[in-house]
Amino acid sequence: MNDIVFLLINGITVACIYGLVAVAVSITWSALGLLNLSYGFIFSFAGYGAWLAERHLWGEPIFVLFMGIAAGVVGGVLVCLLVFIPVHDKPNFTIRGMIGTLAVSLIGGQILLQSFGPKAKLLPEFFGYSKIKILDVTLTADKIGVIISSIIMLTLVVKWMKSSRRGLEIRAMMMNPHAASIVGIGVRKTGIYVMAVTGAMTGLSAALLSQTYYLSPFSGLTPMIKGVSIALLGGLGSVRGAVIAAIILGFNEALTTKFIGGRYVLITQFTLIIIVLIFRPRGIAGILDKAREA
Amino acid sequence: MTKKKNTWKNPLAIWGAKGGNYEVPTPPYKDPHDIWKKTNSYKVPIKKIGRFHYEYKSSNHGNKIWNRLRWWPTRRTILWTKGVYNRKSLKAEKIRKDKRPIFWFFGLLFLAIAPFILPEGNKTALLTAGGIFGIYASINLCWTLIIGTAGIFSLATYAIVGISAFFTCWLSINLGLPWWTLPLIGMFIGLGFGIIIALPALRLDGFYYGLLTLGLNELCRVFITTSKAFGSASGGLFGADTFINQDWTPMTQTYASYYSAFLLLIAALFLFRFVDGKRIGRILKLAPEKKESFAEASGVDYKRARVTVFLISSVALGFIGGFYAAYYRGVAFNLFDFHTVVMGLAMITIGGIGRSEGAVVGTLIIVILDRVLIELGPMRYIIIGVLMMFTILFLRNGLFGIRKQFKEWRNKKKNEVRSTRVERGGEMLPEQSTEMDNKDEVYRKRYDKMQREFLKTLICNEIIEEHKNKPLGQHSEALERVLYYFRRAAMNDKYVVKCEEPFKKYKIMALSGVRGRSPRLVEDKVYPSVTDAYHGLFLRRVQDLMEA
Repeated sequence: MNDIVFLLINGITVACIYGLVAVAVSITWSALGLLNLSYGFIFSFAGYGAWLAERHLWGEPIFVLFMGIAAGVVGGVLVCLLVFIPVHDKPNFTIRGMIGTLAVSLIGGQILLQSFGPKAKLLPEFFGYSKIKILDVTLTADKIGVIISSIIMLTLVVKWMKSSRRGLEIRAMMMNPHAASIVGIGVRKTGIYVMAVTGAMTGLSAALLSQTYYLSPFSGLTPMIKGVSIALLGGLGSVRGAVIAAIILGFNEALTTKFIGGRYVLITQFTLIIIVLIFRPRGIAGILDKAREA
Repeated sequence: MTKKKNTWKNPLAIWGAKGGNYEVPTPPYKDPHDIWKKTNSYKVPIKKIGRFHYEYKSSNHGNKIWNRLRWWPTRRTILWTKGVYNRKSLKAEKIRKDKRPIFWFFGLLFLAIAPFILPEGNKTALLTAGGIFGIYASINLCWTLIIGTAGIFSLATYAIVGISAFFTCWLSINLGLPWWTLPLIGMFIGLGFGIIIALPALRLDGFYYGLLTLGLNELCRVFITTSKAFGSASGGLFGADTFINQDWTPMTQTYASYYSAFLLLIAALFLFRFVDGKRIGRILKLAPEKKESFAEASGVDYKRARVTVFLISSVALGFIGGFYAAYYRGVAFNLFDFHTVVMGLAMITIGGIGRSEGAVVGTLIIVILDRVLIELGPMRYIIIGVLMMFTILFLRNGLFGIRKQFKEWRNKKKNEVRSTRVERGGEMLPEQSTEMDNKDEVYRKRYDKMQREFLKTLICNEIIEEHKNKPLGQHSEALERVLYYFRRAAMNDKYVVKCEEPFKKYKIMALSGVRGRSPRLVEDKVYPSVTDAYHGLFLRRVQDLMEA
């Protein structure tokens, strides 16, 4: 019993981190129509930003965490300036945008490799080493921190999108990009907001993951692919769908590791995704709300 | 006043024309052609812009303007040739409508004789790179069939090759299968794997499927790399049976591997030709993305065709996987890397998605950058990334889309330049002139406007004075031109003199221009003589002319 609870907590922690990337992928796709496959690069970029801040500026963990988020914002805006803004009004935008983000991640990954070397880096523990025991389940501070900080981030983003003028613009772009541009919502400006916000989410997940795992020029790849899978299961473009999918896949990961074996996590995961997608081609969000036309 | 005496001498004066008027002042002569020339000349700078694209035309023998030579036993001609007559000299000429077979022939000829003409120093390295090129070009051709012909955005191509290579390699090591069975078994593995990943393709559209296959690629990578049976300890699986005999000299081995990869490329090209260019490919060309419902309504079972192409390509990819295992005596994990997928995508993007020449040339460029220019180090990946960026930023469909894109751009520029040259006379709005049935009227109005513009320049006090002195009879050249114009005017609203009381009361009226409808009185002014009435009428017409 204890084991299962422990695994579930693990699952939720992982789901929180990957869920952030998934929501980022989802929002980018639905608001901009851009399949951003450079979140792996933004992830590593933000991680290295945090690492540099810790090395050269101030070692305070919270500061490092915020610098990670800031570096994520910079990375996101960089991708927006390099790919989205030049290509968004050209023919075959979707495929060209996707290949463009891949090119950015190829170039960026190599530049990171050149600048920092292949050796893995580690970020400090942001939330200390304390432990709490609730109903004979031990929770470490980093897990609680991960869960709480990602929930805060997600809540902030959702609140911002629901209540602010900019959020209204982004939601209008999600519903109907053409009509939104007609009523005077600038596609490029919105693109920069969206990429900044999603970059911040990726930056947070990078900082959170790099404290427990490691940081290398290509360490963003797995979180990106996990995030993309979650976004796919949730239905591209839906935040609610992505959150539900993240929880489902987190539990799936925990349960598969427990009962079948760690090697089979991806197999069960993709079986699950394929089954859901065969019945609901637009993912879980296909039940919840309307998704953007592909 | 100019030095020239601006007077007009009445040629009838020597006979003593009635009423004097022998010599009157008149405005200087103006050439009526000037306004014509001015109107017809372009007032904007004319930029030269090409209209025809240059096409090489070869001359021909005698009267035979087309070639009947055909590929035996088909009815296909050797080259698509069109016979034309030169428009100027009327000489018979030939145009090659499709020059691609020529380029293919010479390109493949170069690859075929490359081992004999490459420089001796780095021949082995180049031939090894050539072998890699052959295999990757074949994979990319199959991928082009999936993405371009079938329109299924799959990123799991290298996963199929990898799975097939790993399984055949494992079978060869553990069951001791000979090398020639590996590609054949690979075909079945490719088919099986293709069926599994084709299932979601039926339901998912476009990029959802792309993302799913990206995940499947990662799944295969994780599954294979963590599996002991597939050599998780040694970074790959090695020791499969091979067709390259170890007893041969190293150079012979290099030649054998190069030519086997070359043959694989030829086979892949034939597959591409016979899938993309034949019935099934034609069917799919009718059902491009977002026009599926139209194709379906036309009776095209595009889903079936797509899945068929996907499965054919999967079988071919499985074959290539088995070949890969036999070629390298094994297979490494990097076939599943995300990096490999990105490189493959770079190859087909740079060349142009959906075209066989794009897949092959793109592969050539990337293989040269990646495998031949190794001394560049990691810089070469940055170059590849920059090439990719350049392609997506500026080119619509890679290198081989440049021609079409350039033509479209030139047409656009041509039309822009042409639209700056367009001048309207202003006599009629464009929509009016298109709605008018009688197009002569458009030209008449234009000519009329030019004429009035010219006549306005002639009106001056001299001719008014001249007309006042003598309304009828011979006039100076300027006045005569004005009067001719007035007399030739249309009947409606043409002014006429009405005699109310002979030699006492005259008035000016305007004709209705319609039979049976009486003229109307235009003013109440009474002229005491017919001469005064003529002049009054003239002044009214001049006023109308100047005001119009």
